[in-house]
Amino acid sequence: MQTKTVIEAAVGAVVFAACLVGFLFMKGKLKETETPDKKLAKRKKLFFIGMIIGAWFMGGVLLTAFSGMKPGGLHINFEMFSPRVTLPFGNLTLAKTTVTAVIVTALLVILLALFRLICVPKFTDGEPKGMQNAAEIAVEFMDGFVEKATEGNFISLLSPFMLCMALFMAGCAFSELVGARAPTSDLTCTLALGLCTFTLINVCGIRKNGIGGRLKNMGGAMPAMRPVMIPLKAVSDIAVPVSLGCRLFGNMLGGLMVMDLLKGVLGGYASGLPAIAGLYFNLFHPGIQIYIFITLSLTFINEALEMPETT
Amino acid sequence: MINYIAAAIIMAAAVIGVGFGMCFATSKAIDASARQPEAASKIQTILLLGCALAESTAIYAFVVSLILATAK
Repeated sequence: MQTKTVIEAAVGAVVFAACLVGFLFMKGKLKETETPDKKLAKRKKLFFIGMIIGAWFMGGVLLTAFSGMKPGGLHINFEMFSPRVTLPFGNLTLAKTTVTAVIVTALLVILLALFRLICVPKFTDGEPKGMQNAAEIAVEFMDGFVEKATEGNFISLLSPFMLCMALFMAGCAFSELVGARAPTSDLTCTLALGLCTFTLINVCGIRKNGIGGRLKNMGGAMPAMRPVMIPLKAVSDIAVPVSLGCRLFGNMLGGLMVMDLLKGVLGGYASGLPAIAGLYFNLFHPGIQIYIFITLSLTFINEALEMPETT
Repeated sequence: MINYIAAAIIMAAAVIGVGFGMCFATSKAIDASARQPEAASKIQTILLLGCALAESTAIYAFVVSLILATAK
């Protein structure tokens, strides 16, 4: 340990202790007076802020000294695809994000099974309360959303599917909060989700109009143009899962990289501040992306359901 | 080295274009919802969809520049 570190940590500790004493003093004084004094309350707030800053500084100095994380260094070890782990049996390797995805899925299944076993038997037809309200809000919101997007077709198929996808993506985004790399920031996972949508587009289109109807839908309104239009439309249909997957992947990876850069810049001082940035990059941003993914999927599905008016 | 320069140019060009595009779409959406406040929720959905589509071009550029920057 260098003397500089000791002095810096001591300064942080002294600031923290002085502000703690001031804060407690002001608190005691505030209790004595009958009417709340605005000046005293302001001073108490200032002492509280000073206390937090002192503790943050001291923690940063100590963390830098003990862990060797230097602030200001952009030494993020970034890889486009996640590192792989070797399974204990055989020579199989798995990407770490796949392992995270399996864990997230297992946790979600356990949670929902517990919900089914414990909460659902208590549901009543009368006045709903507690968990029943939450479940009803989620299901009704999704049903209404799908009904608005697809004009009332395939609600019983699409609504649970989309809710399930949203839950999975939200679970993946939250796995970043415990330090794992989110599975949705891996191209394979997002492309798989895009392929699910691609399958649904064709399944719904063929079930609604039949295979001939689906071809007519792809060919457009003019019968003479259909031999030209169908291959073109097929190419643009194949682009749908790629575009959906790349969009989700790029957005999630962007958020991950910004958070990594922030942690790299702050080094040992990275306590508290990344949590504030994480509110946007780990909570709000994935939420928006989930909404966009589902809206776009439903839009593409609705496009495949339409029957062109033949002239 | 040339890979990094290419990645930077791709990213800058894409971000400039998409920034203008999204800002144009948002300003039009504000105009529309100020004129017809009762249609605001519908306009919001369309705006989000359009912004997502415009944003996706920047995302493609981001992915391409990442591939360029991490290529060995």
